Amino acid sequence: MIKLFSLKQQKEGESRTSGKRTSAAQLRIQKDLSDLNLPKTCQIEFPDNDDLINFKLSISPDEGFYKNGKFMFCFKVSQNYPHEPPKVKCETMVYHPNIDLEGNVCLNILREDWKPVLTINAIIYGIQYLFLEPNADDPLNKDAAEVLRQNRRLFEQNVQRSMRGGYIGSTYFDRCLR
Amino acid sequence: MKVKVKSWTAVATWRWIANDDNCGICRTAFDGCCPDCKMPGDDCPLVWGQCSHVFHMHCILKWLNSQQVHQLCPMCRQEWKFKE
Repeated sequence: MIKLFSLKQQKEGESRTSGKRTSAAQLRIQKDLSDLNLPKTCQIEFPDNDDLINFKLSISPDEGFYKNGKFMFCFKVSQNYPHEPPKVKCETMVYHPNIDLEGNVCLNILREDWKPVLTINAIIYGIQYLFLEPNADDPLNKDAAEVLRQNRRLFEQNVQRSMRGGYIGSTYFDRCLR
Repeated sequence: MKVKVKSWTAVATWRWIANDDNCGICRTAFDGCCPDCKMPGDDCPLVWGQCSHVFHMHCILKWLNSQQVHQLCPMCRQEWKFKE
């Protein structure tokens, strides 16, 4: 027991002098990434292979309104992860009730319903779900939500037009078809 | 035959008895320690909630302290109360 105690003190001394060590957030993100189980419509990319806390996700839905589109998301994981959710932005201009034109994403688990037992995998599935089931009741893009609520057929046409590249009202959307 | 024990060395193992292997917050083993600690054991204990979910004490405290309004269990979202 005495030996263990002195070993403990020695270790504590080491940790103070060794300076830079892997942060709790990095350790956790490593686990999240090694446990990833992505659907075939989603891919993640690391612009910098030594940087695990900044990465990109591409989603290419194979059904629903957004079939054949390709949408890029940027993830920034803070040092407080998993006590804070990652910051996720959509880098593709998209006509979607829950994603505004600046790329902010309205997904409950990225905001008020985040909890630290959630993972990157859960967020990716959440975002993918938004493309399968856009939700008009909790809109960031109110115009798109209104159209979805009033006229699904027109909404579908608008989504198609925006993905081909074109104007919806006065907003221009770049082409994002695969 | 008469045997005389001249010396002996005791070896013991320990582990936490929890209904899971890993802490849901930091995802490391309960028998390991939270990412802010160096040594597992009494210095980095587990705590149980009344909802029966278990976490490293340091992990759940950090989460509860960051919640302003309601203190909920990260697993089941019931109000977090420490089990006596």
